[in-house]
Amino acid sequence: MVQIQFYSLLRLLLKQEKLELPAVENETVGQLLDRAQQSIDTPFLDKMLDCDGQLHAGTIILINRYNIRHLDMLDSKVSDGDVVAFFPPGAGG
Amino acid sequence: MKGWHGKLLRVDLSAGTCNVEALNEEWAEKFLGGRGLGTKYFVEEVDPGVDPLSAENKLIMAAGPLTGTYGAANGRYMVITKSPLSGTMACSNSGGEFPSQLRYAGYDMIIFEGKSEHPVYLQIHNDQVQLVGAMHLWGKTSRETEAAIKAEFHGDAKVACIAPGGESQVLFANIINEEHRAAGRSGVGAVMGSKNLKAVAVRGTGSVKVADAKAFRDAAMGAYGLLKQNPVTSQGLPALGTPVLVNVMNQFGALPTNNFKQSTFDGAEAISGETLASTYLRRNKGCLGCAIGCGRVTSLKGSRFDGVGEGPEYETLWSLGATCGVDDLAAVTKANYICNEYGLDTITMGGTIACAMELAEKGLVTEEEIGMPLSFGDADALVKLTELTGKGEGFGKKLALGSYRLAESYGAPELSMSVKKLEFPAYDPRGVQGMALEYATSNRGACHVRGYLISPEILGLPEKTNPQETEGKATWLKIFQDFTAVVDSSGTCLFTTFALGVPEFAAFCSAATGLGYSDEVLLELGDRIYNLERVFNLKAGVDPAQDTLPKRLLEEGIPDGPLKGEVARLDEMLPAYYQERGWSAGGVPTDEKLQALGLA
Repeated sequence: MVQIQFYSLLRLLLKQEKLELPAVENETVGQLLDRAQQSIDTPFLDKMLDCDGQLHAGTIILINRYNIRHLDMLDSKVSDGDVVAFFPPGAGG
Repeated sequence: MKGWHGKLLRVDLSAGTCNVEALNEEWAEKFLGGRGLGTKYFVEEVDPGVDPLSAENKLIMAAGPLTGTYGAANGRYMVITKSPLSGTMACSNSGGEFPSQLRYAGYDMIIFEGKSEHPVYLQIHNDQVQLVGAMHLWGKTSRETEAAIKAEFHGDAKVACIAPGGESQVLFANIINEEHRAAGRSGVGAVMGSKNLKAVAVRGTGSVKVADAKAFRDAAMGAYGLLKQNPVTSQGLPALGTPVLVNVMNQFGALPTNNFKQSTFDGAEAISGETLASTYLRRNKGCLGCAIGCGRVTSLKGSRFDGVGEGPEYETLWSLGATCGVDDLAAVTKANYICNEYGLDTITMGGTIACAMELAEKGLVTEEEIGMPLSFGDADALVKLTELTGKGEGFGKKLALGSYRLAESYGAPELSMSVKKLEFPAYDPRGVQGMALEYATSNRGACHVRGYLISPEILGLPEKTNPQETEGKATWLKIFQDFTAVVDSSGTCLFTTFALGVPEFAAFCSAATGLGYSDEVLLELGDRIYNLERVFNLKAGVDPAQDTLPKRLLEEGIPDGPLKGEVARLDEMLPAYYQERGWSAGGVPTDEKLQALGLA
């Protein structure tokens, strides 16, 4: 299984903290994002991606607490047992 | 002058006089306003060696040429003085409506000098200005003070005041306006208290004139579009505010915990922005003219505490939460309310309690001396010690000195997590190398909002940098520090910079003043301000050897999480930073540099 954690605006929007999906061999985090959307009625992809399907500036996705921007972006691989955290753009100070 | 009113108020508290002076136009052009222009006046008038709590120190409240306009979140002002906590230049920023009211009353700046024999406060109603007695207000909390002044002066007045913390000169006392907004860091409230100045109440019914109304309107429309298109400023900040960062930083493994002994907090979820939103948050709120609205109005109804207020923000959730090991959101929020009522900086309050907790853990301070058992995670002690500090009672008198002086008094200054005696905010520099450099070189000590490299390092704005790398961070930091000095001097909220860049500020400043600021001229202006502050600090005895971090962060690797083993690699960045700034290898601005900036 792969555990997806929803944070920030996504948690308010989806009213759920987590989603577990069966692991798929050789799946990328971009494909996992699509699969998560297919299993949830409320549209949320636009909070993470722009109209070209690229990450919004400020979107953070972590696989086991490592930022995909320092891995292979949306092509980063996800494996069985991984924890994937989705943060739509937010900021503080 | 356009943009600026061209007027400042000089208030001599010793003589009890208030006089209007013309603003120095040449300085206004070169230093803009707010932080920059206030600092220029300060360094021209005050000896760097001044005792911060003496009558010879001055305190300046300065708005910028954009403050009170409808441009983009232009509700900010700065308080400039010499810090009693760090001995550096202090300049603390606040928003709300007070800054704009000051401008609507017709003033760009107020300079307070001397010391009143008795408590007084300043009433401003447009051109009617007077000092009035404040004996009846002394001892009142920020909320009580504001209510009393509104009742006796003007119901629509905006009030900036000190509370008991400032009166008793807690070294990290702040200045509160509109009950919940704080010019928070560096102890500016203690300086106000040392002058027996309780409050400034202002009612203004005028307006701010800009030089080119059409160009200003175009700039405002463009900026509004960018703020509304940007998902951070249009969705993230309004929905969760700054507290969204608790889970972000904890997931990254850079949320300092238990006085920086760890960097991942097991209780993060319990004090997160998401939890706050589902428990005590009532609504969000913006400063005057703000299109973002990041403020949090909260209520503790239904918890074991009571109270209604604003906050906690991210920094406070961390300082009164994670770094004290406290995962009780109600207690953190209550301690935040107490800080606002008594006028205390929440970051230093939490950092100092965390230091005391470690001193107690190591047996360096006894339960008898503290007056209660104390250990990391003790929520009740957190609330009690915050209250004692505000009231100046018991062990609170020692906490009132800040963490460095507290730890030093027990022979363990290394347990103070501070730079230049100012406590760290909520980002572990071992996990974010750019912030290590920022903390070490910020002109007011361990500050995150002089060059907020969390934006590129963690959030990926305007582009993503690798927080574990050191190369290139000096260049990034100089640009951020210089740009921030411009934003702080314009009277604009720093949060707009998640969507707006130098060109937008150049357009605003040019349209408001008619002076045609280019991107290059604005960044040079920021560089000038940064160097002006640096030179003051050097003359005040804050030498470059203090551009460093506590030993724990330089030598003890993060013990847990994804950044396990990381230390702050400051030595890999500091020489490059000095070079980038055009300073000597020893960190001193060269004559050539100062001449180029018009400072020599």
